[in-house]
This record gives sequence, structure tokens and C-alpha cells, in this order.
Amino acid sequence: MGSLQHLQDIIREKYNIEPSALDPHQSMREQGLDSLAVAEFLFEVEDRLGLTLPDEHMQLDTLAGLAGLIDRMRDEQAA
Amino acid sequence: MVVVTGIGLVAPHGDNPHAVFDAVMRAASAVQPVFPELSRPVAAAVAPFDAAHWFTKLQLPGVDRVSQIAVAAASLALRDAGALDAAPERVGVYTGCGMGGAAALEAAYAAGLRGGRVPPLTVPAFMPNAPAAHIAMRHGVLGPVLTYSVACASSAVALAEAARALRRGDIDVAIAGGTEALIVPGVVSAWQALQTLAAFKPGEAASACRPFASDRSGFVLGEGAAFVVLESAQRARHRGGRAYAELAGCGITNDATHLTKPDVQGQARALRAALADARLEPRDVGYCNAHGTATKIGDVVESEALNVVWGAAIDDLRVSSTKALHGHLLGAAGALEAAITVLALQRQQLPPNAHCAVPDPHCALNLVLEPGVHASNLQAAISSSFAFGGCNAVLAFKRV
Repeated sequence: MGSLQHLQDIIREKYNIEPSALDPHQSMREQGLDSLAVAEFLFEVEDRLGLTLPDEHMQLDTLAGLAGLIDRMRDEQAA
Repeated sequence: MVVVTGIGLVAPHGDNPHAVFDAVMRAASAVQPVFPELSRPVAAAVAPFDAAHWFTKLQLPGVDRVSQIAVAAASLALRDAGALDAAPERVGVYTGCGMGGAAALEAAYAAGLRGGRVPPLTVPAFMPNAPAAHIAMRHGVLGPVLTYSVACASSAVALAEAARALRRGDIDVAIAGGTEALIVPGVVSAWQALQTLAAFKPGEAASACRPFASDRSGFVLGEGAAFVVLESAQRARHRGGRAYAELAGCGITNDATHLTKPDVQGQARALRAALADARLEPRDVGYCNAHGTATKIGDVVESEALNVVWGAAIDDLRVSSTKALHGHLLGAAGALEAAITVLALQRQQLPPNAHCAVPDPHCALNLVLEPGVHASNLQAAISSSFAFGGCNAVLAFKRV
């Protein structure tokens, strides 16, 4: 399973937001998750997936971008 | 002339002001045992509250319970007041809060001490002015949005400051009140350690707090938020709003003697100042909702202060402390008790001083010892809040 679906599951469970209501290629901040909510969400993602996102994750603004980063981190861990 | 035109509560007795008043009139206690895991038994009055009714899950991160109940109570007060038709720049929020987001802070400490991670929104969650800010954001309030942290007098001071801002003409409408939510094990333990909380036998938590009674042993903590809408009588009349009562005067003084020990002279000065501000004589006032925390020293000092100011008129002043029933809401106490005082005036009924089987002879007051007392000609009433730090705040209300 790619990380995108995992992230969408977390968002649905945590905020009651369906995957269809949040375009993974559009800005999360522009779709209702303000900077505070995104900070809290990323914290939860780190806890649940057991990883530490690099500092530049704060520049990530789309769910697809975040999922891509997590996929790459997991590939590097597996390698 | 400043009047109360809306009341909103998230209180231990519920969120309907008249139902809350009815419960208090019946002497129904909202106090129950909490945290059985603590080494010493402790009781508190917790406000029933469903955050999902007021916030989406996306709105909740970083919003502590103290802010959640504040937003709910302020929204209920505005709903009760009806259409205000006020310019957002001419509206202010005046909030009393003693501690801020206790649950957020305690969770952060617990996580940090375990070597775990502290939640990222801890700071915006616990900052004491967060509740006022959340109210402003919810209702688009663009005027002064202020927080008063004056321990147990916080929200009485907030109401007083709001009334003064209205009188000065700074604003047209004030949303004024208080909020407190610190019923969490660490904070409750800290209050226990201070030796101020009531002791009680198993099964007797509901009557643990016994203001002015010979066998009193301290207070019980309470949780909740209470807000009122204040505006000029002229404005309320013009827009067809209903006035519950007039907030006729306020007195704020400081003891400057001791951080925690109350002082007769400081309280007496606040009582006199409130009467003078409201152009009332002691004999005009029929009811006092006392600070009455049921500590050994506090109730005696308050009784002496009332006697000093009222003199021979003291027998005609009916007195009760409703903290016996809803607990001590600290930063929200003044606002909840002001709301109860306003409803007493409007309904011409006197809340009882519950759990006082044998009044302390050192508290020479005409206590309301029975539930369900009617007062057919109650024209004015006061609500007192005396705080750690020496602040004394007294609000005087008149019937309209």
C-alpha cells in the first residue's frame, strides 16, 4: 500500500474528512487544514508511522507530496 | 445604564440558565467524587459538555476544553440575546480565566516526563487568553478582546471592566464572562496540597462544601464557563432585546496584605465601592450571592466585612453561597454567580445556602437556609468574588 492511502485513512479517522474531499495534489492549507492543523497532523503521522520527517517537511503543502516523501524514506530504510 | 440581555452557561448543572437556576433553587448538588486513583478522596463539579456539538474534528486540535466551553457559553449568551446588529469593531470580549488550558499543560508535562514528545499545539492550547480569542474568531469580534487573570475574581473583574467600557462609550456590546477547566489530576492534587479542599466521608461528596456552616472544611473545585451579553438599556430597548437586570455598579479593591489570606477591610472597601457606584444604600440590597468558599477563615472574614458595611441593615440582607452546589469555578465563579444573581432578581427567588445544618455563630448573617424561598420585592442584589492575590470584586445588580 502506498503512503497516500495511509495518510487519507488518518485524515478520515482524525478529522472526519473523506479522501474525495481533499485533493492530494492541492494545497492542504487552502483546503481547510491551516498551519496549526497541519503541524498537529504531521506530528500524528510521525507517531503512527514511526518515522521522523526531515525539517524541510514544513514546506510540503500537498498530501501527495507528503506521501511521496514518506515512500522515499521507507525505500531508503528498506535498502 | 448597562443591562444584561443574554446569558449563556456551560455549568455543572447544565447549559440552560433557567434549568441551572431551578436546580440551584432545589439545592441539587452537582458535586461528585473524582479521580479515585488519587491517594486522598476528592470531589468536584464537572460540567457536562459535548465538544462535537460545537466543533468539527478539524477545528478541535489545539483547542483546550477551557476554550471549548468558553466558545459554547459565549455562543449561547449571544443566541439568548437575539440579533444585536452591532458593528464588529464596536463589540468586545471580556473573559476571566484563572489557569488557562490545564488539560493541555498536564498532558504536555506527562508526555515530557515520560521522555515522550510534547504535543505541537500545547502552547496555543494552554495560553490563558486563548478562550477569548476563540470567542472572537467564532463571532467575528473586532474590538477589544481581553483576558483578566485575577484568580477567583477573574470573571467578576471581566464583567466590571466590560461595564466600564460600555459606560465610557468604548464599545456598544460586550460579551463578558469567564471560563475554567482544571479538573485534571495534577491540578486537583495541587489544590489538595494547599489544604483548601473540603474533606468528606465516603458517599457524602455531594454535601462536602458547606459554606458558613459550623462543620465546614473547605471548597470543592468546579468546572464551567458563563457569559453574559451587556449593552446599554437604550440600545437593548431600541433593538427589541430583553433585559434580565441592570449591572448597576462595580467595586474593585486590593488587600495588599497577604497573598492568600482574605482581609475584612479590603472586602469592605470593595462592597462600599460597588454600592456607591450603583447609587445604592445597604438597606436597598435584598440579596448577596456570597463568595462563601467554606474555608474556615474565609467565611468569617466575609461575614465581618458584610457586617462592617451593612451595620444595622445586615438582618435584612439575605445571604447564600451557591458554591455548595456548583463548586468553586475559580476564574468562571464570578460570572456564573453573577448569572445566578441576575436570575434571582428577575425571578424574585433566593438561592439557598445549602449544606448548612448548623450555621457558624461567627458568621452573623441572615442565611437563606431553606430551598425555594421567594422574595416578592427584591430590587437589588450583589455578587462578591474575593481572590488570591488580594483582589476583591463586587458586582451590584438592580431589577429592571
